[in-house]
Amino acid sequence: MKQPGWQSLLSFSILFLACLAGFSSRLFAVIRFESIIHEFDPWFNYRSTHHLTTNGFYEFLNWFDERAWYPLGRIVGGTVYPGLMVTAGLIHYVLNLLHITVHIRDVCVFLAPVFSGLTAISTFLLTRELWNQGAGLLAACFIAIVPGYISRSVAGSFDNEGIAIFALQFTYYLWVKSVKTGSVFWTIGCCLSYFYMVSAWGGYVFIINLIPLHVFVLLLMQRYSRRVYIAYSTFYIVGLVLSMQIPFVGFQPIRTSEHMAAAGVFALLQAYAFLQYLKDRLTRQEFQTLFFLGVSLAAGMVFLTVIYLTYTGLYVRLLTCYAKIHIPIIASVSEHQPTTWVSFFFDLHILVCTFPAGLWFCIKNINDERVFVALYAISAVYFAGVMVRLMLTLTPVVCMLSAVAFSSVFEHYMGDDTKREKPPEKAEEGLGPNIKSIVTMLMLMLLMMFAVHCTWVTSNAYSSPSVVLASYNHDGTRNILDDFREAYYWLRQNTDEHARVMSWWDYGYQIAGMANRTTLVDNNTWNNSHIALVGKAMSSNESAAYQIMRSLDVDYVLIIFGGVIGYSGDDINKFLWMVRIAEGEHPKDIRESDYFTPQGEFRVDKAGSPTLLNCLMYKMSYYRFGEMQVRRGALTPPGFDRTRNAEIGNKDIKFKHLEEAFTSEHWLVRIYKVKKLDNREPLDHKLRSVVPKQKYTSKKVPLMLGGEFALQVWRDSFRFS
Amino acid sequence: SSVLTLLSEKVTQMMEWASKRSVIRMNGDKFRRFVKAPPRNYSVLIMFTALQPQRQCGVCRQADEEFQVLANSWRYSSAFTNKVFFASVDFDEGSDVFQMLNMNSAPTFLHFPSKGKPRKSDTYELQVRGFAAEQLARWVADRTDVQIRIIRPPNYAGPLLLGFLLAAIGGLAYLRRHNLEFLFNKSVWAFSALCFVLIMTSGQMWNHIRGPPYAHKNPSTGQVSYIHGSSQAQFVAETHIVLLFNAAVTMGMVLLCEAATSDMDIGKRKIMCVAGIGLVMLFFSWLLSIFRAKYHGYPYR
Repeated sequence: MKQPGWQSLLSFSILFLACLAGFSSRLFAVIRFESIIHEFDPWFNYRSTHHLTTNGFYEFLNWFDERAWYPLGRIVGGTVYPGLMVTAGLIHYVLNLLHITVHIRDVCVFLAPVFSGLTAISTFLLTRELWNQGAGLLAACFIAIVPGYISRSVAGSFDNEGIAIFALQFTYYLWVKSVKTGSVFWTIGCCLSYFYMVSAWGGYVFIINLIPLHVFVLLLMQRYSRRVYIAYSTFYIVGLVLSMQIPFVGFQPIRTSEHMAAAGVFALLQAYAFLQYLKDRLTRQEFQTLFFLGVSLAAGMVFLTVIYLTYTGLYVRLLTCYAKIHIPIIASVSEHQPTTWVSFFFDLHILVCTFPAGLWFCIKNINDERVFVALYAISAVYFAGVMVRLMLTLTPVVCMLSAVAFSSVFEHYMGDDTKREKPPEKAEEGLGPNIKSIVTMLMLMLLMMFAVHCTWVTSNAYSSPSVVLASYNHDGTRNILDDFREAYYWLRQNTDEHARVMSWWDYGYQIAGMANRTTLVDNNTWNNSHIALVGKAMSSNESAAYQIMRSLDVDYVLIIFGGVIGYSGDDINKFLWMVRIAEGEHPKDIRESDYFTPQGEFRVDKAGSPTLLNCLMYKMSYYRFGEMQVRRGALTPPGFDRTRNAEIGNKDIKFKHLEEAFTSEHWLVRIYKVKKLDNREPLDHKLRSVVPKQKYTSKKVPLMLGGEFALQVWRDSFRFS
Repeated sequence: SSVLTLLSEKVTQMMEWASKRSVIRMNGDKFRRFVKAPPRNYSVLIMFTALQPQRQCGVCRQADEEFQVLANSWRYSSAFTNKVFFASVDFDEGSDVFQMLNMNSAPTFLHFPSKGKPRKSDTYELQVRGFAAEQLARWVADRTDVQIRIIRPPNYAGPLLLGFLLAAIGGLAYLRRHNLEFLFNKSVWAFSALCFVLIMTSGQMWNHIRGPPYAHKNPSTGQVSYIHGSSQAQFVAETHIVLLFNAAVTMGMVLLCEAATSDMDIGKRKIMCVAGIGLVMLFFSWLLSIFRAKYHGYPYR
């Protein structure tokens, strides 16, 4: 089997199978439900892509969205990473050009699985550069099915990370290639790939810090060579210019602290190269070492000063491991929490145990590229430990290093000793075929367990569209709760096109995407005061809330209520966050302590705080719920909230300024219409002046006035009767 | 007249006590004379606590520390006047006060305003707000219109440790300045990188940020459990166990490769090989079983 033809055929077919495996294991949600965009953020991306395909590229780049964040609007062109939309739009354009008419929604849904196949290929290329072809193939297979990557790239999850990981791996491959060969061709390719990465994801900061760190460590290890110099100098300049072309990034690469490391290393590299040049010309070596030390010290101090001066931003917070964040909005997102070991094991299974072994092998057989992967592993594992969401950046390097470890083991234990190119001198030198085959079998068993685990995790944990809920009965039949889409389609078909919908910011993107209505706040959360206004409206009583809603021109209010089916992600459970955010901006009007009982409990039954029982959110959630008999057993009283396990306290709810417009089948989504101001404010009994019932016309007053006066009298007397 | 002299005497006495310690310790008698009885033109913030060891009130001790920080910040602040005093009443010294105020839980923070009777908001909602000095200061500002800036005594432990570490490294480098070979030893670097990676993947950052207990002792059965029951949290003991298991699997893989490539004699290599594969399988299966214990519903052994 020595002909190269067989080898490349085998590699090709393995890679093809890996791509296929990756694609198909991401299709669980599509098969169980249908091809639909999942979650919240992808709906915004889908809407932007739709806008791009209907209106063209320049319209998209200059788009000002007046249907979000009413009345402020949002500059979409300048606040979004366009890579994802442009990729999907381009694929759609090319397919339609070839007369394969595919709807943009299908392109968006299946984009992530297709790119996962491309990620597998680029991981193969990268690992082949680092170690050998066998390790590359193993790495491709690992990354195709590993849950840590699948979680953000299932079919339907149309989000930046789906294409960003491919761009990351490809950029790293091209960088390693350019350091190895020192040619400008590969470096320019790396810059173009970096440009694509900058357009795709905010995580490009990782690249622009890892590559300078790599160069810096190479300098420290005295591995400087002309190749490194050519590669980094070209990469920094061209990459900088290209990255500033994205409107969202703008001038950040020369202003913010996250990019200063790259500049510092660039300056240092120029100084070092100059010194090397001098060294070839002059012979004063001791003087040079001192000079070099001085230069590196100066560069290090400049670097530290810059970091200290711009001590801000999420990036530096990560560096100093402050995960406790003071802005309530960021604290309320569950993805920004630190990671337990269970999350590591859940997402990576056996790879998390074996990748340190791969790291060991890499460092023991060090060369320029393996320095890079070692640094990548160490920095990625730190960030993944601090924030759950960054587990995604750890996954590729874990796959690569475990592949290195497994490949080393298999290389030595698989196959027959006598058929090798260099058979051992004596027959006793080898370990014996028995032990070898046992070891090989056990390793293969481990890998099979890994594959089974990945499939189970993908199927159970990461394949829910979260727009459609499914529950399973005792006999296994499926119960689908399609309330969200039902409500959004009702909004789409039964309200005026320019109606404005107020809801909590979680649902903004979905309302804009599926119902196509103007929203007040959405998942972008860029304006905390606006969100605080909405929170204040939800937590105040009806009259105060009505004033806020009139000032914001709200037509409809949408809330999520889970008390009928026991859905725990509803707005009453999120209510305390609304209060906290509102209290942050309006501390005199809203106090969190008002919504608790004197003992400090949050209760919705009779013992609950009166402020809570009369606030707008409570009334909207439990309107007419007091008469509802929930299907749980004959003994549950009407008005029993299944999520809070309590009978509600305020059953007789009446609205003055709102009226119920729509409640979905399982009461999950409730929509209320905000009534316009009355023509005349009806006065209370006490304030009305009693007018005698006789008609009274003064001869001095024109009949018109008397007539009107009589009309008034008639009206008042009619009211009294 | 006599009322005014009585008032000024009381204020002077309170100031004298406050100058000795920022939190005035009161028994029932002092409480009745200086807080309950008129005339009074100052307001008093009192912590009712039970600090005796036999009361076993851990919360009281922590709240006492925070209250001390608050009172000290007030005493050394520029806005210090004789209108606000901080005091504490211990249950064992003034149980009659507890009875008089119908109080049955500790710690409790009450504000006795200079004018009028204490209202509902003069009781600090400990359950809701916690006992951090900053929260207490906000409540004090709300009740008395006096802003206290919390100044905590600077914690020198961190910078001191860093300084010590740098000195140790500097000393080591100086001592071995002619023999810096150990910097080039790949095994040292590989080992330290490995340690760092293993520490991170066992969840030490989570421990550092959330501060969980080492292990949990079930109060009714007395059984100590090192593994947390749910997958959302972990104990420190648990992370150490996981660290050990990960390290064992890694070592197993390394041993396997060493066994195949090294030039020791065949017997030793066979032992290494068996040990390697044994380590990998055994510790990985234990890791799986811990994972299954935490993640209910996981179907694979």
